[in-house]
Formats: sequence, structure tokens, C-alpha cells
Amino acid sequence: MSINDLPVLSALRTKMQWHQERQRVLSENVANSDTPNFKPHDLVEPQFDKTGASAGPTGALAMMRTSTSHIAAAGAGGQTFDPDHKEKFQTRPAGNSVNLEDQMLKASANQMDYAAVTSLYSKSLHLLKTAIGKA
Amino acid sequence: MADDGNDFVRSMSIATSGLRAQAGRMRVISENIANADSTAQTAGGDPYRRKIPTFTSELDRTLDAKVVALGRVATDPTAFRIKHDPGNPAADAAGDVKYPNVNSLVEMTDMRDAQRSYEANLNIISATRRMVQRTLDILKS
Repeated sequence: MSINDLPVLSALRTKMQWHQERQRVLSENVANSDTPNFKPHDLVEPQFDKTGASAGPTGALAMMRTSTSHIAAAGAGGQTFDPDHKEKFQTRPAGNSVNLEDQMLKASANQMDYAAVTSLYSKSLHLLKTAIGKA
Repeated sequence: MADDGNDFVRSMSIATSGLRAQAGRMRVISENIANADSTAQTAGGDPYRRKIPTFTSELDRTLDAKVVALGRVATDPTAFRIKHDPGNPAADAAGDVKYPNVNSLVEMTDMRDAQRSYEANLNIISATRRMVQRTLDILKS
């Protein structure tokens, strides 16, 4: 059994990947905060069942590439988590509905949650070290 | 996920595109403010016309993300300010001088907006950097 099979660690890793991807989505929103007709995006938080496997709406099917010479699917390509469509809309006359304050709040929350997950991850690793008697 | 850890690099690149676009916007705004009183070279000619920066969202294929870019710089078609000043070398036969259609109050407001967006992008970069730092801290413990 490798370390990757531990449910706690794999759940934490999924959560870390989610935070990474969310950070990318949020930075896209902020960068386009002055682009006409741009709508902000967000991701649905992953849900975990008792075994630590991710359950719920995560893991959208990705388009398969049959040849390496093909161009990757555009737009939401490489995205492994479901986009959250429940956005509050406050559209400005130019058709842009990015709320900069909202995005900043989300970015800082994302960062703090990520910090919590990474410290949980390192604590779990520490626990394993204790178990094998090296701590 | 195919590209582990690459999302952070992508986040920072996207935010950098935002910084670049806002810096370009500042350049256009400063051009407008600097030329707020530039009259025509010839008598009766048209003075400086106000420029408007536009933004477009484009797909960066290497990043596979929507980055922002400064689009075409449009010109403002509104009417020029006209002042009666027969002694001015740029005055036409009736003694009227056309001044640029730049309103410095509007430019200042626009500049503040650009500054705010620039700061937001900077915030994203520093938040992403802190997250990368947290990842590296796992190794240290």
C-alpha cells in the first residue's frame, strides 16, 4: 500500500487541486474585470463521502484527445471540477458582471482554506512519521 | 489532472496579463491628460482627439485560459470644445479655436479605476505566491 492510497491524504490532495484550479478561475475573473460582456466563473466545492472519495458533482468528463497533435479542447479545457453557475449578477452597462470586492474576498478565502488543507496534509504526514518511529 | 502544480503558474500568468492591460490603459489615459490642451498645428484644423482603450478577452492557447489584452484603441467621436480666441494661431476665420474633447475629470476617474484593477491583479499574484509557499512548506515539515 503506497502513501497515495490513504483516503485522508487523497481527499486532501483533491481539495488542494480544487483550490489551485479555483485560484486560476478567480484570477481569470479579476484579469477580465474590465472586459465587456465578461461573466465571472466559480467552481463547485468537492464533497467527500466517509471513505474520503470525492462524491457529488465533481469530475466532469474531459474531451479525449485521440492524437497528441490535436489541439486541446478550448475554453474549460483541463478543468476537472464542475463550474458553479450560481453567480450573483450585478451587470454593469458594458455587460461585465465581475464584482472586484467579491472576487478579492473569494481569493483570500481560497488562500486561507488552502493554508488549512496544506497544514492538515503535513500534520497527517507527521502522524505517519510517528507511526514508523522517525519523528 | 495532467499538469500538476501548473495551475498556480497559470493563475499568475493570467493576473500578469491583467497587469499589462491595465498598464496599457494608464498609458492611453496619460496620453489624453497630457494632450488635454493640444490645439491643431494649422489654423482651423482639428486638435487632438481623445483616445479610448478597449479590452478584449482572448484564449491563450499555451495557458489554456482566458487572458485579457488591450484591444483596439478607439477615438472618441464627441464634439470638440470651442473657444473664441482670435489671437490664437490655431483659430479659424471666425476666430474660434477647437480644443480637444478631453475632460480631465473623466480621465481622473478612469485612472482611479485602472489603479484599482491593477491592485486587484497584484493581490491575486501575492495570494497565489503565498499558496505556492504553503505547498513548499509541506516539504519542510
